[in-house]
Amino acid sequence: MIVGAGASGAAVAWRLAQAGFSVVCLEQGRWINPSLYPTDDKNWEILGRHEWNWDPNKRGNPEDYPVNDAESDISPLMFAAVGGSTIHWTAHTPRFHPSDFRVKSLDGVADDWPITYDDLDTYYDMNDMMMGCSGINGDPAVPPRSPRPMPPIPLGKDGAHMAAAFERLGWHWWPSDNYMNSMPYKGRDACNYCGRVGFGCTRKAKSSTDVNYWPEAVRLGAVVKTHARVSEITVGANGRATGANYFDRAGNAKHQAARSVVMAGNGIGTPRLLLMSKSDAHPDGLLNSSGLVGKNLMFHPYSITTGLIPDLSETWQGPMGNILMSQEFYETDPKRDFVRGYAYQMNRGTGPLGTALGGAHEPVTWGAGHHEDFSERFGHNVVLAGIGEDLPEEHNTVTLDDRLTDSNGLPAPKINYTLSENSRRLMDHSVKSATTVLREAGATRVMANPLLRSGGWHLMGTARMGDDPERSVVDQWCQSHDADNVFVVDGSVFVTAGAVNPTPTLQAIALRAADYIVHERDDLKG
Amino acid sequence: MPTSDRQLTDVDRVVMKRILDLIIPAVDDLPGAGGLGLAERVERGSMRYGRLRSGMLSILDAMTLDIASRVEGGFAALDEERQIASVKTVEADLPVQFSEFVELVYETYYTDSRVHERIGWVGRPPQPEGFDIGSWDPSILENARKREPFWRKVE
Ligand SMILES: Cc1cc2nc3c(=O)[nH]c(=O)nc-3n(C[C@H](O)[C@H](O)[C@H](O)COP(=O)(O)OP(=O)(O)OC[C@H]3O[C@@H](n4cnc5c(N)ncnc54)[C@H](O)[C@@H]3O)c2cc1C
Ligand code: SF4
Repeated sequence: MIVGAGASGAAVAWRLAQAGFSVVCLEQGRWINPSLYPTDDKNWEILGRHEWNWDPNKRGNPEDYPVNDAESDISPLMFAAVGGSTIHWTAHTPRFHPSDFRVKSLDGVADDWPITYDDLDTYYDMNDMMMGCSGINGDPAVPPRSPRPMPPIPLGKDGAHMAAAFERLGWHWWPSDNYMNSMPYKGRDACNYCGRVGFGCTRKAKSSTDVNYWPEAVRLGAVVKTHARVSEITVGANGRATGANYFDRAGNAKHQAARSVVMAGNGIGTPRLLLMSKSDAHPDGLLNSSGLVGKNLMFHPYSITTGLIPDLSETWQGPMGNILMSQEFYETDPKRDFVRGYAYQMNRGTGPLGTALGGAHEPVTWGAGHHEDFSERFGHNVVLAGIGEDLPEEHNTVTLDDRLTDSNGLPAPKINYTLSENSRRLMDHSVKSATTVLREAGATRVMANPLLRSGGWHLMGTARMGDDPERSVVDQWCQSHDADNVFVVDGSVFVTAGAVNPTPTLQAIALRAADYIVHERDDLKG
Repeated sequence: MPTSDRQLTDVDRVVMKRILDLIIPAVDDLPGAGGLGLAERVERGSMRYGRLRSGMLSILDAMTLDIASRVEGGFAALDEERQIASVKTVEADLPVQFSEFVELVYETYYTDSRVHERIGWVGRPPQPEGFDIGSWDPSILENARKREPFWRKVE
């Protein structure tokens, strides 16, 4: 049984169903028909801010659980559906670097992972084929790798303009790897560069697991139970999982029996459910003998630096992101006042309303000066988003809120997260360097936000992997130390965060865990 | 804190139209947001999204009730300079509600087809047509490819 039908749950379901395992997935959300996405509605910008908002607290669908983020510097973002947060994601998909798995050995901070880049290489490739990767080999910032199944997305005039600015400074840039179709792929249309990747793709040109892994897994016999909100993983007297209690759409309490449980509820949903699953065998919550469930929460802090470049026009034409990235400042440099590093992703401008509301910056001024401010921004704005490596700290936590509840009355997660001094310095550096590039590109005005509060896209670290049961929740195969038939396969298992978007890595880890189950845990086949 | 089911009065509507013109003034041959007749759409938009409605009502209460208690004839009787000053006072006193109200006004104004035409927006949703951004040109990587690999090796 899998809890959660998002990025990681889908990958595991496919692999296990392919190997003849009997798979059932409980998902609190529903299947979404891509024709419902707002991008072909004349009110698309308004719908994107409300009904399709990235923030579950603002969207407030009954299938979302609310999150108490009042004591967090960053608000977590996620989606509840078959496809999980990949419904909304922008599908920027670089891989971790080999060094990301060895930060303790290399830089003396945090911990090394119990696995290496090489352990994941095959699974990265497998995932790129299933999800559909566009990109090109030859990037000097990353190790050599197998070719992507599709060529890169065109850079557009603005992308080429920014690439030239990076080059004049002698700084690295490379076309972004992404899971958008630069050509028709596996029965899905090519992207037509409509731009609004983060609102869901009506053409299915953006990969989300409801249009690739899940249809395959279902064809192979996997069953997805939607509107099934799991309230507790049940255990027997021996402490091993026996299944899950859940609420169906009508609010009826039900039980799903299972030989094993795979947790794939994401870096917040998984620790929440583990903490809700208290029993005599696991008095502090399931898998929590180390006390680390819900601790070491990492986001990637994001800085947003926007340049207004009069030489560019109509920067709202083309995909919002997935243009190019720079990894010039990725690795630790002892000359800087922080360890580890950050990457840049270039983003484009937005539609009229998005521009007026300012995005990561102050809205366009009201009153006199309104129209000048708007026309300076609209169609001329180019963004460099700095994505920084967050290091694990035990005081950054997911716990259970003692008042706020979801629509079934279950406790909502509460987030306590403070940006570290290292991350703050790193973000400040990213703003400074981004300003240099944007000025080089001809920006006449630069707006900077050194920490995007509404940027909690990446949820990691809250049930970390490791060899030592006292310092970790699962082992290198994602099998828990406390109950050998419970696995955690989502971003919760990350030991450190790297400075790139996490999903290809977490899906590769999930596929590797599934392979382990297939080859080593025949006893779980039912 | 106003309840979000309070209905707008005629006085509210007059004040709202004027505030809309102050928030987004006329430009070229386009009237301001009030003159464009957007007050009614702002009101309708607020019915849909409760969070924004309570922001709008707080601002209208502040403009109509508070100022009426201090100035004879209320907000409408002030000259433009003093109207702007009083909007700024309300903005300073109720920053969250004011920014929610501005959000609602911008949502209405920047989804209006007359505004789209003036600013040069395509005037259609992004789908189904999408945009043309040219094709992928591998020669753009000529320089970037020359750099030696610089990723950090590990044992
Ligand atoms: C707007 C946005 C943009 C993003 N852009 C990128 C990007 O460009 N690149 C990138 O790498 N990543 C991106 N991400 C992050 C990416 O979406 C996540 O890393 C990825 O989806 C995580 O996969 P997951 O399986 O851990 O969880 P999710 O995909 O979040 O899926 C978890 C699922 O579990 C379900 N669930 C949770 N609790 C329960 C319960 N108790 N009972 C039943 N079901 C439950 C949820 O409903 C959900 O469907 C983005 C995310 C967002 C929100
Ligand atoms: S830009 Fe392409 S992938 Fe993104 S939503 Fe539009 S068509 Fe889909």
